[in-house]
Amino acid sequence: MSELRQEVYLNPHQARRRPPTPYEDLLGDSIERAFAAGIHDLEGLVAHLNRTGPGCLQNEGVWTEALYQEEMTRLAA
Amino acid sequence: MRTIANDPVEAVLAAGLKDLWYPICPSEFVAERPVSLRRLGKKFVLWREASGKLHALEDHCPHRGAPLSMGIAMGDRIACGYHGVQVRFDGVVTSVPGSPGCKLEGAKATRSFHVQEACGAIFLYNSTVNVDQPPPLRLPEELTSDEYSHFLCYTEWKGGYRYVTDNVMDPMHGTFLHKQSHSMAEGDNTATFRVRETDLGFVFEKEGQRGVNFDWTEWADTGLHWMRLAIPYPKTGGPGGSFFIIGSYTPITDNVAAVFHWRCRKLSGWQRDTWRFLYRNRLEARHWTVLEQDRVVLEMMEPDANQREMLYQHDMGLVRWRRHMRNLAKEQLEREDAAAPTKAA
Repeated sequence: MSELRQEVYLNPHQARRRPPTPYEDLLGDSIERAFAAGIHDLEGLVAHLNRTGPGCLQNEGVWTEALYQEEMTRLAA
Repeated sequence: MRTIANDPVEAVLAAGLKDLWYPICPSEFVAERPVSLRRLGKKFVLWREASGKLHALEDHCPHRGAPLSMGIAMGDRIACGYHGVQVRFDGVVTSVPGSPGCKLEGAKATRSFHVQEACGAIFLYNSTVNVDQPPPLRLPEELTSDEYSHFLCYTEWKGGYRYVTDNVMDPMHGTFLHKQSHSMAEGDNTATFRVRETDLGFVFEKEGQRGVNFDWTEWADTGLHWMRLAIPYPKTGGPGGSFFIIGSYTPITDNVAAVFHWRCRKLSGWQRDTWRFLYRNRLEARHWTVLEQDRVVLEMMEPDANQREMLYQHDMGLVRWRRHMRNLAKEQLEREDAAAPTKAA
């Protein structure tokens, strides 16, 4: 069965190019928690990240709307 | 799916209807080195020129039938590895090194196929005969509009491609099979369905429930057969509403299917980028788990499971689709009969 399995293409990760970093996992956790709490606006999301982390990689850890957008553009590319 | 040797309609459907576009593989499967792919009752060889331009021929040298894919790509042509016969992208033999000037030179002796890339996939026009110009590849708006963002998920499943369509034409399985998933835990266990005609095909939908679970599915023919459905995201999915899936399925063999699912979301700006980040970081893995639930059930079904069914109201979508496909197959057979030279008495 395992031999047969190899004949077909089953790759669970087709969108990402490398495994996520711990920082990216924490960021994903934090964003999901904000969404779950009903925070759907950029201002609220940035305030949530500044409250719960992870810190921004720039600006001594402080997220701003511009830095969040810049970071998401990078991670979405 | 069981092939019934004496049923020409079944044979047509098993190999895939002709004169349609089909997705055949993700774009990155093909580079400059020739690649052989079994699809649609044939073997194709695909390769790229250095510029990235893509070509497809039947993977069969017109000389002795060796696979061209074992040869050497030379720009817009390929030299068979067996005797060096050169075949151009349009199927014309440009050189027979072992017998210069022979009749094979200049002959259009290999089937050639039009290919086009879109949305991370290579699409091939499965023409009955060589055509100079294929009809345009027409994709649904989720894949063409800038308002949507999408990712392709490509898998190969053991089972006929029609089982995959049956599965998507059966929204009610979401409530049961996908009960344990991140997105399909809601909604009633019972439903009444109806079929609604569209310009391109039809929608099979639950009466009185929308935006709760897997509540509707659409089948469409734009010269490419594709399906569309929407699944609500949980609150953790953020703004943007339901996410859409566009599906299209291509036979590899009678018992293996090439399964294309594009996951799409209508978002812009930071919301779009955030979804794309979350998709890569975690949502893709959750969607994968749901898709695996489908694959495992379908692969465990006997190849002739669809010969022993007792269907009920929830299955009228797939009954409708199967009937439509059989009609298309009959029309194809009639066209082929009309085009065939009259047989001697």
